[in-house]
Amino acid sequence: MHNLQANTLRLYLTCIRNTLEAAMCLQNFPCQEVERHNKPEVELKTSPELLLNPVLICRNEAEKCLIETSINSIRISMKVKQADELENILAKKFLRFLSMRAEAFQVLRRKPVQGYDISFLITNYHCEDMHKHKLIDFIVQFMEDIDKEISELKLSVNTRGRLVATEFLKQFI
Amino acid sequence: MAAEGFLEVENLEAIITRIEQKSRKIESLLKQSKPVEALKTALEGSPLKTRDERCKSANWIVVHRAIMAIKDVDGMLASLDPEYYDILMKYLYRGLATGDRPTCDQCLRIHEKLTERAGLGCILRSLADTVNTV
Repeated sequence: MHNLQANTLRLYLTCIRNTLEAAMCLQNFPCQEVERHNKPEVELKTSPELLLNPVLICRNEAEKCLIETSINSIRISMKVKQADELENILAKKFLRFLSMRAEAFQVLRRKPVQGYDISFLITNYHCEDMHKHKLIDFIVQFMEDIDKEISELKLSVNTRGRLVATEFLKQFI
Repeated sequence: MAAEGFLEVENLEAIITRIEQKSRKIESLLKQSKPVEALKTALEGSPLKTRDERCKSANWIVVHRAIMAIKDVDGMLASLDPEYYDILMKYLYRGLATGDRPTCDQCLRIHEKLTERAGLGCILRSLADTVNTV
């Protein structure tokens, strides 16, 4: 059972990696509508000829990844697995914490796309400054680690809750 | 313009009839344990140029049936003609978008092997092609 889950995770990440490798062909493209402006076309979506078909890769009913590409930018939005209420809250808080510090990550988007938990925005400038394969490694590694992080957080919340409850209730023994 | 619209409707009915015929042929092929032929039949004559959602959904149901019947992915890809790789990739992405667990499992399995065979170009063509859509 665990093997099966590990295998689908591997296939899911491989599919995303392959799709990103194909989709991340970005080049500089000055804005067509406004002089001297240079905007990420995937965010504006004003000119259909600059956009590629968006692709939705679902692992199951709860986890999915939306990849939208354009000529000069790519937007990757993820929905992470949230098995119960506690994981829901932890995921929301943790990802909000990261999103608020998007400046430090450079490729992170400050607000996730509607319907998703976290979004990345990669532009041609990022591809010029950083290696493409490293960017893809980062995204895939992030997806792998996020599940582990949230499990760890859940574990530590439960442990702490148990310790606190034990200490508190000792006075009533 | 009205005449063209009328022709389009005629064509749509013809397409739906063709898909129904395909569906029957595929069911019989699957009963004879020929999943690869079934997939070839399903992918052939797909309504890629039309914009009508009904035709596309009808064809997707047929292709989905054939995809889910595949047990040996390597064998299937070895005997599938390369001209079908692009259409298969587009249908795999449609399958991955459904979110249904068994469909996604199967599509992820085939996607990995198909990418190894057909390369990243196949993926890029399915992303870039806005004329022939599934």
